[in-house]
Amino acid sequence: MSILDLTIKEIHEALVNKEIKVSDLVKESLERAKNNKDNAFEIILEEEALKKAYELDKLEVEKDNYLFGIPFALKDNFSTKDIETTASSNILNGYIPLFNATVVNKLLDKKAILIGKTTLDELAMGGTGTSGHKGITFNPYDKTHTHLIGGSSSGSAVSVSDAITPFSIGSDTGDSVRKPASNAGLVGFKPTWGRISRFGLFPFAPSLDHVAYFTRSSFDAAILLNTLAGRDEHDSTSSFKEVEDYTHFDEKIKGKTFALIKEINESIKDEVLTNKFNELINKIKEKGGIIKEVNFDTKLLNAIYPSYIVISSSEATSNNANLDGIKFGPNYGGNTYQEVMFNARTNGFSNLIKRRFVIGSYSLMRENQQETFLRAQKVRRLIVNRLNEILEECDFVIALASPSVAPKINESSDKLSETYLIADNYLAMANFGGEPSITIPLGFKDDLPFGVNITSKIFSERKLLSVVSEIEELTGLRNLSTKTYKREDK
Amino acid sequence: MKEVTKEVLIDASNRLLFTMSDSEFNLLLEEFEIIKKQMDLMGHIEGVDDVEPMTFPYEVEVSYLREDSPKEVISKEEALKNAKNVKDGQIKLPKVV
Repeated sequence: MSILDLTIKEIHEALVNKEIKVSDLVKESLERAKNNKDNAFEIILEEEALKKAYELDKLEVEKDNYLFGIPFALKDNFSTKDIETTASSNILNGYIPLFNATVVNKLLDKKAILIGKTTLDELAMGGTGTSGHKGITFNPYDKTHTHLIGGSSSGSAVSVSDAITPFSIGSDTGDSVRKPASNAGLVGFKPTWGRISRFGLFPFAPSLDHVAYFTRSSFDAAILLNTLAGRDEHDSTSSFKEVEDYTHFDEKIKGKTFALIKEINESIKDEVLTNKFNELINKIKEKGGIIKEVNFDTKLLNAIYPSYIVISSSEATSNNANLDGIKFGPNYGGNTYQEVMFNARTNGFSNLIKRRFVIGSYSLMRENQQETFLRAQKVRRLIVNRLNEILEECDFVIALASPSVAPKINESSDKLSETYLIADNYLAMANFGGEPSITIPLGFKDDLPFGVNITSKIFSERKLLSVVSEIEELTGLRNLSTKTYKREDK
Repeated sequence: MKEVTKEVLIDASNRLLFTMSDSEFNLLLEEFEIIKKQMDLMGHIEGVDDVEPMTFPYEVEVSYLREDSPKEVISKEEALKNAKNVKDGQIKLPKVV
């Protein structure tokens, strides 16, 4: 087993014990990135990463810094100074930011090494990993390239599940980290809205956008939160709330209450998944956890997806108004300045993204606003109220993260069924209310992974990660990747 | 609510300064049959219009104003670096008059 197959914590120990040099670690990470066939990278930063690695070889490994020399990948909707950043959209081809996103600076300050920028659904607006300008991103568990990895943080999910890097950064507006985490057998964590600065993250729908990330253990997720959390004067929505030591795991399952939302469970029909979920629930009970079945309200749950699509598409129309082909991005010419913009946007956006924008534009028309945009925001309040009521009575909400393993590419589904409206889209409620929410691997079906999601009250990350760490012991799937799965299989 | 027709969708896309092919508008028109049914689900909730719209995940109160002083200033060259059409230190656009 290669040291690169380990978690951040374990790689750090190997570095401290001089079992490996940073440059050897980074070389292997770069080799794996180059050899990967899943279309995970927009750009691989070989020269820059190696230069940094050789510099770190000369230094003593910082014992109190878990991220020293750790390679990572970054979703290509985070600004990186002097490195092309396109958000997988042709309208940003050639765009080179002048500054780093705050999360990038924080990771580089900790001497983590950026090895590449990853593919996404164009402008992070999608959940399939099929709409980026470099084509479909595939699931590393399926070498036939038949199944999706999901999105929008597709390439970042590949990077961690194929053990190219032990962590990667993504963004989550509806479920864009937590859903691919389920499809890729990963820990996908979205902390509280406001906990991590979004300065330098290309905005899609700022009232819902979160910085989120993939790791292979909850402890690694805590390591990252220790670095990434905190107020940033560049992001007025970042919280002043004190940053805790999230790696201090002192909370246990025993005595905690887990809410099972009846309607979500009933909307999931796959017996392999539900049996595995029920097994986990029994194990939680054996550990002293209290299970409480609650009703949410089917009508509210059915309205999550439409209100999400209306709010996010509407916010996206104004946030992407700066993409005009004038200040940056390809210029397609025109006889008037309006034509310059019109041509840039017509040629630069893919058809899929345009259709999303049109939904937003339609929702914002004066005649429609009351019944679309404003009503969606009212639905949002009712959903958040109900979720918070449940979280007043219970410590956590727990449910399967997805109704199935990774779907096949171009597989169609009934978009009005409860399986689609509820099971496939309920994760967005934690974007509505900003609650911390984490997906961890739960099991496999036909050699494809699936996950379980746990959500808790805003700013309760320490308790959530601490208890999830104990749940990882129950699933037995800590540090899962294609490398470790194959080994166990043999 | 406005009835969804191809003309309405063309108007919606023009407001955002782009167009699509005829077949794309037709596809979107088909998609809207489902989207409208999904949007209708929001109206099925009792008392939905009795609450205030929610614009952020939770109430955030910021009770200070930062000093309005320049900090990280970028140079003119940097500001123009990503523009494709630059002349005499300015972004060049077609004449307005």
